Amino acid sequence: MGIKLEDIKKNYNGKTVLNVKDITIKENIITGILGPNGSGKTTMMKIIANLLEPDSGSIIYNGQCFDKIKDSLTYVSHNSYLFNDTVYENIAAPLKFREKENSYIEKRVKELIRMFQIDYLNDKNALNLSGGEKQKVSLARALSFNPEILIIDEPTANIDPNFIKLIESTLKSINEKYKTTILIVTHNTAQSFRLCQEIVFMKDGKIIKHSSTNDLINSKDTFIKEFIKLN
Amino acid sequence: MEYILEGVEGAFKLIFSFDREIYSIVLLSIYVSFASTIISAFIGVPLGLLTGIKDFRGKIILSKIYYTAMGLPPVVVGLVTVLIISRSGPLGSVGLIYTPTAMIIAQSLLVTPIVTGIVFTNSKDTGREIIEICKTLGANRKHTFVKLIKELKPLILVATVTGFGRAISEVGAVMIVGGNIKGHTRVMTTFIAMSNSMGNYDTSIAMGIILLTISFISNSFLYNRTMGGNNGYKIRRY
Amino acid sequence: MKNIKKGIALLLIVMLVFAVGCSQAADEPEEPEVEEPAEEEPAEEGGELILATTTSTENSGLLDYILSDFEEKTGVEVKVVAVGTGAALQKGIDGEADVLLVHAKAREEAFVSEGHGPERFDVMYNDFVIIGPESDPTGVEGLNVVEALTKISEAEESFVSRGDDSGTHTKERSLWQAAEITPEGDWYVEVGKGMGDTITMAEELQGYTMSDRATYLSMKDNLESVILVEGDEILFNQYGVIQVDPGKNDQINAEAAEAFVNWIISEEAQELIGTYKAYGEVLFNPNAK
Repeated sequence: MGIKLEDIKKNYNGKTVLNVKDITIKENIITGILGPNGSGKTTMMKIIANLLEPDSGSIIYNGQCFDKIKDSLTYVSHNSYLFNDTVYENIAAPLKFREKENSYIEKRVKELIRMFQIDYLNDKNALNLSGGEKQKVSLARALSFNPEILIIDEPTANIDPNFIKLIESTLKSINEKYKTTILIVTHNTAQSFRLCQEIVFMKDGKIIKHSSTNDLINSKDTFIKEFIKLN
Repeated sequence: MEYILEGVEGAFKLIFSFDREIYSIVLLSIYVSFASTIISAFIGVPLGLLTGIKDFRGKIILSKIYYTAMGLPPVVVGLVTVLIISRSGPLGSVGLIYTPTAMIIAQSLLVTPIVTGIVFTNSKDTGREIIEICKTLGANRKHTFVKLIKELKPLILVATVTGFGRAISEVGAVMIVGGNIKGHTRVMTTFIAMSNSMGNYDTSIAMGIILLTISFISNSFLYNRTMGGNNGYKIRRY
Repeated sequence: MKNIKKGIALLLIVMLVFAVGCSQAADEPEEPEVEEPAEEEPAEEGGELILATTTSTENSGLLDYILSDFEEKTGVEVKVVAVGTGAALQKGIDGEADVLLVHAKAREEAFVSEGHGPERFDVMYNDFVIIGPESDPTGVEGLNVVEALTKISEAEESFVSRGDDSGTHTKERSLWQAAEITPEGDWYVEVGKGMGDTITMAEELQGYTMSDRATYLSMKDNLESVILVEGDEILFNQYGVIQVDPGKNDQINAEAAEAFVNWIISEEAQELIGTYKAYGEVLFNPNAK
């Protein structure tokens, strides 16, 4: 079970940016994707989210192909596009796509707004918010339809510390409550140690370690040790 | 210096005299430029969107063509139009020369690339982003299309109003295809050019003030609809 | 609520604009000095007549005054395209106009002899004047043209020329020829512009220039320059009317053109021309034979 990647390759301008042999990301846990810039993290995430086509290879989600699970997979980047509309409408959008009833939508959106502590922003235009506020709205929107798999790319880049705590605890509680599978790309090694049960470490488009967080912290690999020290 | 002040004074007198000739000139300008803007929008918006959002070979060349076409000198457009519609031209028998219709055609040729270019430039990135985010949020094709149009509405408005501004302020194309004929094809810009060459500064200034006012009104309208109040939209206008 | 109001306002404006725009082409404009009401729609039989003439002719206001007479009598709608003399003649050669009314006799005769039009008729003449600063530093007031130009070129006082190959420019060149002078030097300024701009330039340079009487009169109130030389026969400016050869293309309105020629040399039209006044003075002397 989980997300199984088989022999995923991606070239860009003649260069191989991703070459992943065989890996299965466990479901229902928070997995961190760590590595230096250009190691292929975002490319791999986008391929898993079906926003990018691999040149070869396949992905199987919980034993099924993408088409079957696409309604319960979502991808959030650090600057996701927000609709030119109120915060409420932004968060409600995915539910409207799924043609849910208005009463349900209202209830659900209120719930999320409370969870992220953005009540005061309900009627404000999403484009006029600060970076941190935007990120919260982005995340709330992505979670509105309770996805089974949540992929987040640098969720707390450019956000100040108060917000970071809130987002991290929200992610934790979602994982606990709903058993959501969360993949989180981050530069912040401390954050990944706080949040993740397993970590995938990437370098030059390849996965050089996939293990529990503890095992990674105690890794003897010099590159990994260096990286942890600097980040 | 005196004659400038006299000119401005005469201008205000003229504006409030409700001279029929002046007002029919103003309305003809608005009619011609408005019609050509509508035509340009009908062609340019879908064209700009489609070519902006999709990825295809030759997209870079196409964007260069758009940018060049956006900067076409109005006189050249007028000249090309005249070559086609003049009596000795291929469409001469339609009898279009020296008519408002010819002016609308010429201005449409001038403005369509502008609308297309602006929509294309801004939808290149924004359009793809919208499609991508809709995908991650589980929207089907219909939902995505609706969102696309809704999100890009300010952009379409900017492109259209910019096109209108260009049309109503140009003089080269309408002069050549229209001939500045009194009562038929005389518009604000050709009138100003003619008045000026006759030394009638007060009428030139009067008409100039009217033209600027119209420009101001249409741009204010645009500003209010896209930037005012609750909107945080930013758009590139080149 | 606010949006609906705005929407309605916009819709009304759009409707108004289209209503006016569509009627604009059909309506005859009201002439400011004519007593009879202008026709609402051009009679179908007459059609349209493209009259190519010069900018100075149109600017004089004569055509606004006399054309309604023709339009009523024939039901033809006249579209006056005012360009430079050279351009007007070229439109005739290209068949882009139906009839010409210009003032460059030699070029008109060449036009006819080259087969672009059947015949040329005298219509009227107006005159040119030489204007300059009130102080008249060169002292040319009251002299005849040749004497005046000679003095100006010897004193090297600023003289502004149209320099645009127009009928007026052609006339000016002929004056220098008559005086057997080739004007050159910094004092002789060729501006390549219309009459109004040329006069303005002369005013700014405190120099001399040659202008048609009508344009000068129209600007007189704003000028310090005055008429210094006038009345010399060499300053007369003869107008001619020529129908464009109908064989050039299918769209030439030959009947209307012929009617126009016949009308403008008719007694009635000629009388009308003679009564046209601008700025308190009669500008054109009818002399059709």
